[in-house]
Amino acid sequence: MKRFWPAFLVLGLLGLGYLLVPRGSHSFFGTRLLNPKPVDFTLEGPKGPVRLADFREGLVLIFFGYVHCPDVCPTTMISLKQVYENLSPEEQRRVQVVFISVDPERDTPEIADQYAKAFHPAFLGLTGRPEEVQEVARAFGVYYQKTAYRGPGEYLVDHTATTFVVQGGRLVLLLSPDKLNFAHNLGYLPKVVADLRALL
Amino acid sequence: MKRLLPILLFLFPALAQVVVEPGWVRLVPPVVPDTAAYLTLVNRGRTPLRLVGAETPVARRVSLHRDHQEHKGGHAVLGMRPVPYVEVPPGGKVAFRPGGYHLMLEGLKRPLKAGEKVELTLLFQGGLKVKVVLPVEMR
Repeated sequence: MKRFWPAFLVLGLLGLGYLLVPRGSHSFFGTRLLNPKPVDFTLEGPKGPVRLADFREGLVLIFFGYVHCPDVCPTTMISLKQVYENLSPEEQRRVQVVFISVDPERDTPEIADQYAKAFHPAFLGLTGRPEEVQEVARAFGVYYQKTAYRGPGEYLVDHTATTFVVQGGRLVLLLSPDKLNFAHNLGYLPKVVADLRALL
Repeated sequence: MKRLLPILLFLFPALAQVVVEPGWVRLVPPVVPDTAAYLTLVNRGRTPLRLVGAETPVARRVSLHRDHQEHKGGHAVLGMRPVPYVEVPPGGKVAFRPGGYHLMLEGLKRPLKAGEKVELTLLFQGGLKVKVVLPVEMR
């Protein structure tokens, strides 16, 4: 009997460990921020200024991009549409998807909004004066830079393609473009939906 | 027709070399003047195959792009870069897909509609042209 003691001890410790794991805790697919950073901004929407703090309830999903972007931006925007459509109408009421154009030279607030709404009518498109957009980008750690410049109005833009999830004025979750590339990995869709549900 | 095929392949050996697995043209919001086309090129031949360009009646220009990724401030910064050609090794294939290569249809002459078919003529080094028809889809 004595020689079984170590085995009992190990089993006991494993059992104790299992009991200590919080029940129903969700393991996040996206990057959960342990020290949620307060964020706020005011940018131009199609019907005037929109402040992030106006969305006090629920979640705001923010993606920075530009309209003349046929590959990277639609990949994430189509995925955000799929995520949104997988939520119940009740959940949808508590989720706002926001597209912010980092190309205010070409994209007016109206164009940014028409772009966002083409993916889903409930989405919102914003932009602002170049210095305003820059300030918002800096607050989120977003980088953008013109490349392949061929002339005025003819260039590409490199940009941070992370989707930022804000709750109660704080940045709580990051979704990298890889995790929102459902064209590659359709299996990621339920994981992202589960992340949002865990936050809601 | 089946009997004719070997003769046709003999007359156009390059046609036998390239197989295009169709993909799709991305449906983009009507405010966007550019879109992307995706497909897979298969090289059945013994020599490398080079796609050097493409033409379509629906856009002013078609250019080849490859996605570009770097990390800045802990985030993935994405963009795209024009490439002069895309080479498919003998016996190999290259998939154009979101996050990799795409054919950028620049300056759409009109907004495309979901489900419509777009004709694309692929131009290969050596003068070979291959016509493909791709559906317009939001995916």
